[in-house]
Amino acid sequence: MPLPTGPVLEAGIQSFTFHDGGGPVLERIGFAAAPGTLTAVLGASGSGKTTLGRLLAGWLTPGSGGTLHGYLELGGTRLDFGSGRAGADANGQHRVEPRIDPAKWGRQVGFVPQDAAAALSTVRATVAEELAFGLENAGVPRPAMVAAVARTAGLLGLTGLLDRNPARLSGGQLRRLAIGCAVISGPAVLVMDEPFASLDAAGAHELAALVRHLVASGTAVVILSQVIDGLLLAADQWLVLAAGTVAAAGDPASLGPETGLVPAGIRRVGGAAGVDRGALSTARTAPASTGNAEVPAAAGTAAVPAPPRETAGAGAALELRDVSFSYGPDARRPRNKGHWLARSRNAAQPPRQPLVLAGINLAVRPGEIVAVTGPNGAGKSTLLRHLNGLLRPTTGSVLVNSSDIAGRAAGETAAAVGLLFQHPRDQLFERTLLREVRFGLDRLAGAAAAGERAAAALAAVGLQGAAHGHPAELSASGQRLLALAIVLARRPSVIALDEPTVALDGDGLAVLDAAVRSAAAEGAAVVLVTHDLDYARTAAHRLVALDGGRLTER
Amino acid sequence: MRLHPLTGLAAAGSTAVITTAAGSWPLSLAVVAGALAVSAAGGTARRLLPAAAAVLVPLTLSLLMVHGLAYPEGRTVLAEWGPARVTAEGLGFALQRAVQVCAAVLALLAFSFSVSVPDLVAAMNAKGVSGRFAFVLASTLTLLPAIAAQAERIRTAQEARGLVIRRGLVHRAAAFRLQAVPLVLALVDDAGTRAAALEARGFSSSGPRTSYRTVPDSTAQRLLRAALLLAAAAAVVLRLLTSAAGG
Amino acid sequence: MSSPSLTLPSPAPAAARRRWLLEILGALAIAGTYVFLVLNQPADITGGPGSASALIALSGFLVGAILLIIAVLPSLPASTVVLIPVALVLNIVLGQFVGSTLVPFYLDAIGTVLIAVLAGPAAGAATGALSSIVWSFFNPTVLPFAAGAALIGCLAGLAARYGLFRRFYLAPVAGFATGIIGGVVSAPVAAFVFGGTSGVATGAIVSAFRSMGDTLLAAITKQALISDPMDKAIVFTVVAVLVYALPRRTRFQFPFVRRHRVLAGKTPGEGAGQDSTPAS
Repeated sequence: MPLPTGPVLEAGIQSFTFHDGGGPVLERIGFAAAPGTLTAVLGASGSGKTTLGRLLAGWLTPGSGGTLHGYLELGGTRLDFGSGRAGADANGQHRVEPRIDPAKWGRQVGFVPQDAAAALSTVRATVAEELAFGLENAGVPRPAMVAAVARTAGLLGLTGLLDRNPARLSGGQLRRLAIGCAVISGPAVLVMDEPFASLDAAGAHELAALVRHLVASGTAVVILSQVIDGLLLAADQWLVLAAGTVAAAGDPASLGPETGLVPAGIRRVGGAAGVDRGALSTARTAPASTGNAEVPAAAGTAAVPAPPRETAGAGAALELRDVSFSYGPDARRPRNKGHWLARSRNAAQPPRQPLVLAGINLAVRPGEIVAVTGPNGAGKSTLLRHLNGLLRPTTGSVLVNSSDIAGRAAGETAAAVGLLFQHPRDQLFERTLLREVRFGLDRLAGAAAAGERAAAALAAVGLQGAAHGHPAELSASGQRLLALAIVLARRPSVIALDEPTVALDGDGLAVLDAAVRSAAAEGAAVVLVTHDLDYARTAAHRLVALDGGRLTER
Repeated sequence: MRLHPLTGLAAAGSTAVITTAAGSWPLSLAVVAGALAVSAAGGTARRLLPAAAAVLVPLTLSLLMVHGLAYPEGRTVLAEWGPARVTAEGLGFALQRAVQVCAAVLALLAFSFSVSVPDLVAAMNAKGVSGRFAFVLASTLTLLPAIAAQAERIRTAQEARGLVIRRGLVHRAAAFRLQAVPLVLALVDDAGTRAAALEARGFSSSGPRTSYRTVPDSTAQRLLRAALLLAAAAAVVLRLLTSAAGG
Repeated sequence: MSSPSLTLPSPAPAAARRRWLLEILGALAIAGTYVFLVLNQPADITGGPGSASALIALSGFLVGAILLIIAVLPSLPASTVVLIPVALVLNIVLGQFVGSTLVPFYLDAIGTVLIAVLAGPAAGAATGALSSIVWSFFNPTVLPFAAGAALIGCLAGLAARYGLFRRFYLAPVAGFATGIIGGVVSAPVAAFVFGGTSGVATGAIVSAFRSMGDTLLAAITKQALISDPMDKAIVFTVVAVLVYALPRRTRFQFPFVRRHRVLAGKTPGEGAGQDSTPAS
């Protein structure tokens, strides 16, 4: 264990405002991270933790990125912002605002964004060259670069992939590469934004081991997260953000669920992440983890759902009959899958497996909620895309309300089957939430009813207050709820949800659960796919597992 | 020994310049044949031909239409329909220009379809060409398939929302807006993240840079490149002198 | 006191002077080439193959475009440089698609105009020139049009700078005017380098003017005056639709948009003392 020393990175933020004319995004935040410690910055979606992380890492530079009042201190060098006048002021000749050099800052503070793909240079043809990009720009001699690349690749398990094109990596491999790019220069601080999001148990386990290794070797690791899992329970300190300011801070033990200091929007998932918690802390996690498996943490919603109405199997709202599917030779195959890691956005199928789905039979009655579970890459998203015709079965048929959807355009089937993607950003195009929900509704329900339905759907997901805001300005959680409202307003007979726990915070998940349950109570059939078994147990009436292309009842 | 990417570029560029300067039938045809042979030998003909056809077929048709149907300077009339006059001079001019453009286009495409872009980028950086130009070139080529895939994902996501694209210009234009808005928004956002990532990794550093990728070069190739550039320059000067003397 | 090791120094005036010099040289090369071509065209139009005009058009316009790139590219912030490849992809994909149809438009400047509106005339000019150079990797025939594309980007940036994107109906008007200038400047390239146009639909229009007895340059210039203004009016309108669909934070992250109040709506930040915007 390294000796506790003074903080390597420190920040005192009175306020931070973007240049968009809105109010401060961050206010009254004190932050300090010492070498060899793990800090968790916790906050629900939209709480400002990503902004804080980027500010700490020099990715958001005061001045060009926004207006900061306060200071940042890195390795003993303190930069004060906001006390000097901006250059525009005629009589303000006294002090010029410091301008952070992102390259020099970046050599000491590494940052891994949530979307790892966006952090890549896009101009390097192999993983090795991508890793070396930062060293090239710093003018490091080639032999030293080769050594550093080999060392970093070994640390991250990328050694076998060094000659691979970065564009062909799986989501989990991409995240490792992004981490490698951030740590190759040996920064004193590493900030990671939601590194565990959408990783399955195996991927999360490997990542947790890496974080422990970095902490043990003296790096100050800062993890931004909306979920508390085993690794974060073992953190040295927590900083809990809510609405852009500090809601609570201190030792994890002093912020247990019984204290009520951590907002309900931050979910606690116990052993579900599959992380071995023994290494860093043994004593304090044991009591904490027992009461933590409830998902979501919001009181009252975690009750066992009511059983569905018993109706005959013939009246199934959705039926899959012997559905098999494989990506054809000319079908564009999603990213190649690595041997152990996860994907970020798109379904990724094992390259050598001819059948992704093999003889799937599934019937969902109106009012029933069925969860399909399985590890990343099992074909869950592929299965989901069959429900509305985005993918067509190689053999077998899909029936919605007892009629075969083969030959109907996916856009038409969408009236009966509402599919909710993991990342709804691709679906949103209007200027306000209300217009977004109303889009196409006039044709479906008539102009008069459309307005009512849209407003009701927004209210059902708790977004009525933001009805005239811009969809792109919602938090990730808010965008998923908006996509849910769009689906609900159309009153489909089948609702299909892709990984509800991804990109949703605890509050959002509670709203989603409530809305989905009330839709089920009104007769909608619900299929959700998730890698989170704990969540599936609390949310669904019935669990089926997808593995090796086959469905088994659990 | 592999061909240095800049040698390939010099060869293709000077071929295109010399062909344009010489403007002679036989030379243009020889260059067309040569470019096709080089591409076939390198195994890139299968990708090159469709790309070349996409450029050259409309261009040739356009030239034939412009000069074949209307060439007021032409004297030998072959056929006449109303205002359209097909003249031998017009057809000759059109074909002659088409062959000349074909030669230049094929020479350049033979290069761009065979070059290894990472090598080219590394070579340009090593020669002191602004790292930013190499970045724009390489990043565009990387992003082309990625953005196409993203556009496809957006199309799918919107179909799942109930969007049915109907026939007709108005419907298509409306659908274009619905798909372009999330695409551009996502691209601008991602670019913001990428800019921050690149800055943190020293993209704008002013100091000296090194290269992880090594591109083998030789004195012979360096001399060859110099000779090619000199030849191109000489061809241009010669053409300008003769045209000044003759015109 | 802040240590210099983590902060950027103030920009040196020498770099700015060098940039101005290169920009002026580039603009002079383009303007000079155009004037020379127009003055010399009657003698040269049927001068046969390999005409000196083709070489002059090629080299003059290309050198000008490259000088502009060398001047502007190093001075752009990374956030703009990273957007340029994205703009190029939009240009290439749409241009390649539209060019293959029987529509007498090109729509190959949407990305260029988008950058010009968000990041200013210099960035727009560099994007236009780079677009032609990078696109010539798949389609070498666009290479000689680099100067024209740079001009479009520059003019679009100026239109944004002087508020023509603040009102929605002014955008197509600005596009129309830009198209006239751009078309006139690009016509000599089509006439002297290719002896015609690169599309069948545009070729038909040129053919019609030629049959009325126009010289090739006159016919192609007239064709450009039919196609280009409409084309650029469409492009500017599309870009206006796109930028107004962007959320505020995304729009206002661009200093050019903030400083020159490019878009309608309440403008935040510095220099917003005189907030007299009609909308909002």
